[in-house]
Amino acid sequence: MEDFFEKLSMFTNFIWPLLLLAGAYLVGSIIEKKHFQSIRKREDGLHGIPVVSFDTMPEDWRVSSSDMVTGSIVISLDYFKRVIAGLRGLIGGRIKTYEPLLERARREALLRMTESAREQGYDAIFNVRLETSRLANAGRDGKGTAGVEMLAFGTAVKLASRIG
Amino acid sequence: MKFIAKKPREGINVSDEHPLVEAGTLIVGLTAIFIVIALALIFIIEVALYFVSTEAEAELFSDWIPDDLVTVSPADERLEQTQLLIDRLVMHWADTPYEFRVEIDDSDVANAMALPGGLIIVTQGLLDQVESENELAFVLGHELGHFRNRDHLRALGRGLVLSIFFAVITGNDVAGLGINATDIALRGFSREQETKADAFGLAIVHSEYGHVNQAARLFERWDAADENSLAIITYLSTHPQPGDRVERLRAIAERDGWRTEGPTTSLGWKGR
Repeated sequence: MEDFFEKLSMFTNFIWPLLLLAGAYLVGSIIEKKHFQSIRKREDGLHGIPVVSFDTMPEDWRVSSSDMVTGSIVISLDYFKRVIAGLRGLIGGRIKTYEPLLERARREALLRMTESAREQGYDAIFNVRLETSRLANAGRDGKGTAGVEMLAFGTAVKLASRIG
Repeated sequence: MKFIAKKPREGINVSDEHPLVEAGTLIVGLTAIFIVIALALIFIIEVALYFVSTEAEAELFSDWIPDDLVTVSPADERLEQTQLLIDRLVMHWADTPYEFRVEIDDSDVANAMALPGGLIIVTQGLLDQVESENELAFVLGHELGHFRNRDHLRALGRGLVLSIFFAVITGNDVAGLGINATDIALRGFSREQETKADAFGLAIVHSEYGHVNQAARLFERWDAADENSLAIITYLSTHPQPGDRVERLRAIAERDGWRTEGPTTSLGWKGR
C-alpha cells in the first residue's frame, strides 16, 4: 500500500509533467518542421512577385488597378515552448524557443498575402507592413497568451505596361 | 532599378541551438539555484524558530484561520464536544502557551491539521471515521504533539517557500499569495516528526484515560481495509502508514508499561 502511494505521488509530481513536456516537444517539433518545409516550398513557387516595403513605385510603371492585400496567421505556442520560455523569463536572455515560432508567423503571413495577390492577378506588392498582436487567453483572466496574430498587408498593383 | 528575386535568408532570426539543449541547460541550472535558495530559506526558518517565541506566535495568530477553510455551522454539537475533548487533553500538557481552538472542516475526506496559533482543524470525514472518543483523542493528541515540537511552523514556512517558488515559476503574483489550508495539508511532516508527535499523542491519551486501549484502533481498521478509499487517502498521504504506526504505538506502550486494556468512552454524537 505504501508502494502504491509512492508510485501515485511520483506519477503526479514528476512523470505526468514530464510526459506532457515530452509529448508537446515531439508533436510541436514535428509540426514546426512540416510548417517550415511548406513555407520554403511555397516561397519557391512565388519567386517572381516583388514584395517590397517601399511606399513609392518606380516612375515608369503604369498601374491599371490596385488594391490592399492582407495575409494573417494566428499561431500558438506549445506547452514545451511555454515552459522553457517561462524558465528563460527567470534569468533573461533570448527566448530561443519563441524565435522559430515568430519566424514561421512572419513568413506565413507574407506568403498568404502574396498568394492572395497572385490569385487576383496582381504583379507586385508595395508598402508592405507587418503587425503583431497578442491574443489574450480568456480562460486565465486575460493573463496568459493564447497566441499571436501576425498580419501582413500592402498595396498590390496590376501593371498596364512596364517600360524598361 | 531592377528587381532581383531572392529567397528569404535563413538562420538570422532563428537560433541554431537545439531546443533540447536550451531546455536542459535551463532546467539543470535553475534547479541547482532553486535547491540552494530553498535550503537557505529552510535554514533561515529553523533559525527564526529560535527567535519567535511560542507566546509571540500564539498572540500573532490568535484569531487567524486559513483563507480557504469552509467550516461547519458553529452550532454543530461535534464542534463543542471536540473542543471540550481538546481542553481536557491539554490539561496534561503543563505550561502550554497556546489556547487551542478547534474548527471542523466541511470536507468528507479524513484529515487533521495543526496550524499556527493553536488552531486544530479536523474534517467531518475524520469525525465520521472515528468510533470512540479514545480514537479521536489520539488523533488530537498527535496534532498537539506537532505543536509541542513546533512542526506546524516549519510546515508553514516550508509551505510558503514552496508557494513562492511555484508562483515565480508559473508567473503568478507573489504578493497575492494567501496561506491556504489545502496547501499546508498536502505537505506532510518527516517520519521523525510524525513519530515524535505519535509518542506525545499516546502519552496524552494515557494520562487522560489511564490506559491506551483503542488509541490506535482507527489505524488498525484502516490497515485491515484492503482498499484505500478516497475518504482516507488524504490523511494517509501526510501521515504514516497505519500498519507501521500501530506497531510503533504498541512498542511504545509496551516499553512504558502502559495498560492496553480499559474502558472506552463513546462519542456523544455517535450511536443515536
